[in-house]
Amino acid sequence: MSEILVFCEKDDVAFELVSKGKEFKSALGMSLAAALLGKGAAGKADDYFAYGADKVYVSEDAALVDFTAEAYAEALYQIARKNGAEVLLLGSTKRGKELAPRVAQKLGAGCATDANSVRVEDGKLVADRYALGGNTVSTGAIKTQHKVIAVMPKTFELGPKEARKGEVVDAALGLKAPRIRVVERREKAGEAVNLEEAEAIVCIGRGLEKKEDLGVVEDLAKALGAEIGCTKSLCSDWEWLSEERLVGLSGKKTSPRLCVSVGISGQIQYTVGIRGARIAVAINKDENAPIFTMSDYGIVGNLYEVLPRLTAKLKSL
Amino acid sequence: MEKMDVVIVGAGLAGLAAAYCLADEGLEILVAEKGDFPGSKNVTGGRIYLNPVRDLFPDLWDEAPLERHVVRERLTMMAETSSTSVELMSNRFDQEPYHSYTVLRAKFDRWLGDKVAEKGAFVIPKSKVDDLVFQDGRVAGIVADGDEIYADVVVAADGVLSLMAEKAGLRKEQEPKHYAVSVKEVIELSRQTIEDRFNLEGDQGLAQLFFGALTQGMMGGGFLYTNLESVSLGLVVGIEALMEKEPKLEVHQMMEDFKQRSEIRPLIAGGEVAEYSAHVITEGGLHAIPKLFGDSILVVGDAAGFGLNMLMTVRGMEYALASGAMAAQAIKRAREQNDFSAASLSYYEQLIKDSFIYKELQTFSHVLSFMENPRLFNLYPQVFCDLFEKLMWIDEQPKQKMSTTVLQELRGNLLNMDTIRDGLNFLKI
Amino acid sequence: MNIIVCMKQIPDLQQIRIKERKPVLEGAPLIFGDMDKNALEEAVRIKEKVGEGKITALALGPAKLKDGIKEALAIGADEAVLLLDPAFAGSDSVATANALAKAIQKVGEYDLILCGEGSTDNYPGQVGPRLAEMLDPPQITYVRELEIADGKIKAVRNMEESFEVVEADLPALVTVANEINEPRLASLRQILQAARKPVQTWTPADLGLAEDEVGGKGVAIEVLSNLAPEEARKQVVLTGELDEMIDKLVDSLTKEGVLGR
Repeated sequence: MSEILVFCEKDDVAFELVSKGKEFKSALGMSLAAALLGKGAAGKADDYFAYGADKVYVSEDAALVDFTAEAYAEALYQIARKNGAEVLLLGSTKRGKELAPRVAQKLGAGCATDANSVRVEDGKLVADRYALGGNTVSTGAIKTQHKVIAVMPKTFELGPKEARKGEVVDAALGLKAPRIRVVERREKAGEAVNLEEAEAIVCIGRGLEKKEDLGVVEDLAKALGAEIGCTKSLCSDWEWLSEERLVGLSGKKTSPRLCVSVGISGQIQYTVGIRGARIAVAINKDENAPIFTMSDYGIVGNLYEVLPRLTAKLKSL
Repeated sequence: MEKMDVVIVGAGLAGLAAAYCLADEGLEILVAEKGDFPGSKNVTGGRIYLNPVRDLFPDLWDEAPLERHVVRERLTMMAETSSTSVELMSNRFDQEPYHSYTVLRAKFDRWLGDKVAEKGAFVIPKSKVDDLVFQDGRVAGIVADGDEIYADVVVAADGVLSLMAEKAGLRKEQEPKHYAVSVKEVIELSRQTIEDRFNLEGDQGLAQLFFGALTQGMMGGGFLYTNLESVSLGLVVGIEALMEKEPKLEVHQMMEDFKQRSEIRPLIAGGEVAEYSAHVITEGGLHAIPKLFGDSILVVGDAAGFGLNMLMTVRGMEYALASGAMAAQAIKRAREQNDFSAASLSYYEQLIKDSFIYKELQTFSHVLSFMENPRLFNLYPQVFCDLFEKLMWIDEQPKQKMSTTVLQELRGNLLNMDTIRDGLNFLKI
Repeated sequence: MNIIVCMKQIPDLQQIRIKERKPVLEGAPLIFGDMDKNALEEAVRIKEKVGEGKITALALGPAKLKDGIKEALAIGADEAVLLLDPAFAGSDSVATANALAKAIQKVGEYDLILCGEGSTDNYPGQVGPRLAEMLDPPQITYVRELEIADGKIKAVRNMEESFEVVEADLPALVTVANEINEPRLASLRQILQAARKPVQTWTPADLGLAEDEVGGKGVAIEVLSNLAPEEARKQVVLTGELDEMIDKLVDSLTKEGVLGR
């Protein structure tokens, strides 16, 4: 029987993949395994079994100490070859995304990255991903016998943990030392903000004239009990807010009850990140800004006038 | 130091026509276009008349991306809440070779730009030319992005507010009354809808011109042209009239009001606005032509003021194409003699003066002053439409003699010196 | 210092339209993706710093690419290799990577292969890693800063939780992130000079590839649909004086049940 092989260097994402992998077992008639690679891998097996893996392949080979695409791709390739894995489910983290096509190339497989939905339709495994800069959703089925799919974190729900036992296999890999040396890792001063779980979000864009003006946005956010998000310019370019707060195609995809977009024109790269909001509100001084067609309610006005008044009104309720 | 044989500033119809005619000669030609692609900054109503230019570019027209050939011509006089139209439906216009097509510049100019590039000329978009290079008092090249590019001759094809003509000292002071501003929308409708709404079959097209209340008493008018899968709708208002109007009116708002009129609304219902553009148009005719040539420089197209309001229709595109071709002719001659001086290039002006362009500009030179008459836009259309309304209205009272109705209406409104003078002026056109 | 820059043209996303949920690409001009421009810019900067070298722009695409590649030559590539044959049409990441790998082998020795992190249209990010797998240089992705010295490359990679600094010996394959540099614009003069730089065009046969290994025939994913998602927003724009609009907004949100801590 062939296998579904799951891997992600981030265990929490791997658990999501295993949880979903359980569903595919019967639909595809395959067993479910996970690869545990790198230092301390052996100790994690129990959790993988709890989420549904039948087998785990473990390797703490010296070549896997640091994550390098070349070593990890070779590791997954050898495991897949030896054990008849036909479907590889990887996490589409940055590392996952540089890894997946490489494994796929070794296997002669097609690969879909950044998948935001994976399902079995008419006996075929299909994956959705954003295309054309977020304007469309492309649904594709991999034609090759081996299939590699890199799935966005948080696409799948974590399943229940059950008390299960599975088989631990020593992967017995033959790996060359990687040619990339990690010299240093500078931790990012990230904030512990979780926009993906937030119930309400206020997003601010280029309509804000200077960093000092963030106060008026913070006041509104507080009045709404909302987290603050932003567009690319404010975090990546001007560094007024941390990248954790980026909402959009290359940032967080959110699904709050309420999202208020302030001073944001509404280009597709941003609106992709608020598609999941139940109610979307826009405040922008340009009546032709596309954000209004992507919102339920809109006010055409200057944010410096609208926000304080709106905050005051909310506080008075 | 970069030297070309010819530098053409502007990849509109005049610039591209000149490049097209010159490109065969193995010359190094640069057409510098400030827009993202040829046609991106060009606006026309619009329609093109092929007969004057068919033979200038014999191999082009079969392939050219033209829209519909016009078989219905409608002239509409608008009053406040009514309008009267006259429509010509001509089978002759429906016989090949067709004499007039509606056109979409973004498509057409771009295609022409590709054709010119295929012939070996450099058509380079996103290149804004800021100035001319002068050597010993004569034009020696252009300056773009701080780079100097030299050439034997520069062709100023940079449109109605030509910076190049100004820099070369060829343009006189620009008077507001010689210009109008136009706004236009391209509204998408399915082929079937267009054919149903405008009574057309296949690739037949309609061209409609409006004057009257839509410009709120100011000099100007409106237009509607059917394209294959869209309608070009817009209006034109004289700049001087706009400046003098109190209280100030926004052209954008006038366009919205125009679209809301009961005559227009159903024609564009359900359509999606695909393009919105605005542009300055030359209205001055003969009175606004700059000097057409200098040492190593020629002026073509709108930059040379080659645009004409003939009341029944508007001309510009054929003038641009033809003047570009004539400039090419003059340049070829100058090359043969290796003489790019003003004296040599004056041949261009000669060609223009002998051509349909100049002759028509002369013939219709009174149009501008005729159009400065506000009664043309607020009084006459209103009176005429009111009269027509009265004639068609059947009351509880027994209907009077037609002549009685007519005399009543006209006597009240039109029996005065102004009208008589206007009538005489009309004879001039 | 021989650098090969892999580039791809995509439809300008600002100019595509959605009609009845289907993407309409005609009328959208073809441009190089943002990160491809970053890759080319980085190549030019490296060559300027090192003082010598040759930059080859390598691209697979439709016939119009012959015109489009002038931009790359104007910005600083010394030569271009184009894969324009209609047989290459319909290539996906797999078919493209296969063709580019063969082309790179034919170009010969290289010190550095530079690619964008992903193409701005669909952002699959696959070609870089696939090329690295086939040609076997060390693979360094998501690079926001790099330094070449003594036959080695040192790069800062933008990872989720950290900036990772890595080192490897040349030759190497690098994919660059958008923030690595600000691509320059070519001047009119550079564009005119670009016309004189050599451009080679290679067919599948030149690369030793059979017709059924390239283009649409070499594709690994069957696209079942590519549509814009349903947009079901109410699109209500509130009117009135500022305070009126704010009252209306708060009322609406209360009714919708989204106000409440």
